[in-house]
Amino acid sequence: MKHPLLKLEPLIWLLFGQGILFGTVLLTPWVLVVGLAIPLGIVPADALSYERAHMLASHIIGRLILFGLIALPLWKGAHHLRHTLIDFGGGERDARVAPLLYLLATVGSVLAVVAVVRI
Amino acid sequence: MSRNAHPHAMAPSKPGRTRTAPPQLPDQFPFRGRYLAYTLFDLTGILYLLLGFLALCAVWCLGSGEAVWNGVLERHRNVFYLGFHTIALVGLIFVGIRFFGFFPKAQPPRVGPVKSPPKPVILAALYALWIGVTVFMTLVLAGGVF
Amino acid sequence: MSDSQQKKTFVVTRFDPDRDQAPRKQSYEIPVQSDWKVLDALNFIKDEIDATLSHRWSCRMAVCGSCGMMVDGEPRLTCKEALSEYGDTVEVGPLANFPVVRDLVIEADGFMEKLTSVKPWIIRAKQRAVEEGPMRQSPAELEEFKQFSMCIGCMLCYSACPVVANEPEFIGPAAIALGHRYNLDSRDEGAARRNEVFRGEGTVFSCSFANECSEVCPKHVDPAAAVNQAKLNAVIDWAKGLVLPRGGDE
Repeated sequence: MKHPLLKLEPLIWLLFGQGILFGTVLLTPWVLVVGLAIPLGIVPADALSYERAHMLASHIIGRLILFGLIALPLWKGAHHLRHTLIDFGGGERDARVAPLLYLLATVGSVLAVVAVVRI
Repeated sequence: MSRNAHPHAMAPSKPGRTRTAPPQLPDQFPFRGRYLAYTLFDLTGILYLLLGFLALCAVWCLGSGEAVWNGVLERHRNVFYLGFHTIALVGLIFVGIRFFGFFPKAQPPRVGPVKSPPKPVILAALYALWIGVTVFMTLVLAGGVF
Repeated sequence: MSDSQQKKTFVVTRFDPDRDQAPRKQSYEIPVQSDWKVLDALNFIKDEIDATLSHRWSCRMAVCGSCGMMVDGEPRLTCKEALSEYGDTVEVGPLANFPVVRDLVIEADGFMEKLTSVKPWIIRAKQRAVEEGPMRQSPAELEEFKQFSMCIGCMLCYSACPVVANEPEFIGPAAIALGHRYNLDSRDEGAARRNEVFRGEGTVFSCSFANECSEVCPKHVDPAAAVNQAKLNAVIDWAKGLVLPRGGDE
């Protein structure tokens, strides 16, 4: 693979590793509550009323957790989508496709910083 | 029915003296036998990308004011969002179980002078982290704490 | 002395580069004995029915790694696979992901090149003088790499690996496992050089942790463990390289 990303593979893999570990750990309660329990009425909606959500998210730990559950899964996602495309015969295209996928994760991570800062 | 692997899969740098038949993919790849779990595992990449960007939208909306945030909560009641998050939860659990199962053996016996903990300890710590964070954050998000 | 004669049909992939455009299947119905392995059936076919059948084998006891083939779609050592575990029809083909030289014989030179590339031998910064005596190694130090030294180079893992199928440069499970075995060996001083190979064009980071290599390994080497341990070590090596000058270890 005379690959433009060869020298960055260790960093990409580290980000992917954190993404799959902490992304999974942080997204599980997010999906449970924000994705399912509140919309289904199992948990009252005022648990995440604007005032309360804003209060939680404004705390430095809240901001860090939110950054983690936005940015880290993007690296897991980009990396695994890249591997899926290779597995389905896209090895030759990887040199062009992989940078685009990781650019997507990078843009998402930068936007995650902006999103948590502007709360 | 066999299909071709990459035409240069396992090819030597110099061709041999006779013509060879092209390498074939394993019959069961990618959707049969054990390969199915592997392919699904990699496909959860799409799930994680969607979850990440959905969470980004939600947090961005939180920073845009009450009306916009209430719109987020309203959207999440949509049947497609509910269906997606149900699939997402299954996917997260699948990824967690498969990845945590592999994680202990992926640790070298030592890093410098520091020995890796025994594999059962690593596995227990991972599940403790996952369950602990899930319980705590669920309580926080659901209004039980803070 | 022979058992009551059961028959099985073997659907064997044939390919003669001088005669065949592409591989084809040929069926052989033969009497089999209850204690036979798949290899016994292939040898019977060659000895008694069709002398043109070509296949590799040697030790008959799963230590040489010569007789790897696809048996009912799974990479197996044919000397190890009991016929009693299979149905009345057994499909035998050359190992997946390899170019096929003839019939069940695959081109192994590609694997040999990948293996050599990881320098699977003790590398020392300086040759040790005889007067210094042997290099001593404790049982605990041996335990750290012993599992990965059990590889017999049978290449079943390459047949099972989806990355090998799609990325020709990937070093592959057995070669990485054997390179990692030397990186873990307390007598070795060549980790920096091997990690350069591990981060080169055949990069270990191509592995997507399908774990199929470990599923099919007949010697319980667990190459998936080796490859993923090698990734972490390669990351540490890379991080050190950012901070320390090159050649800090040797």
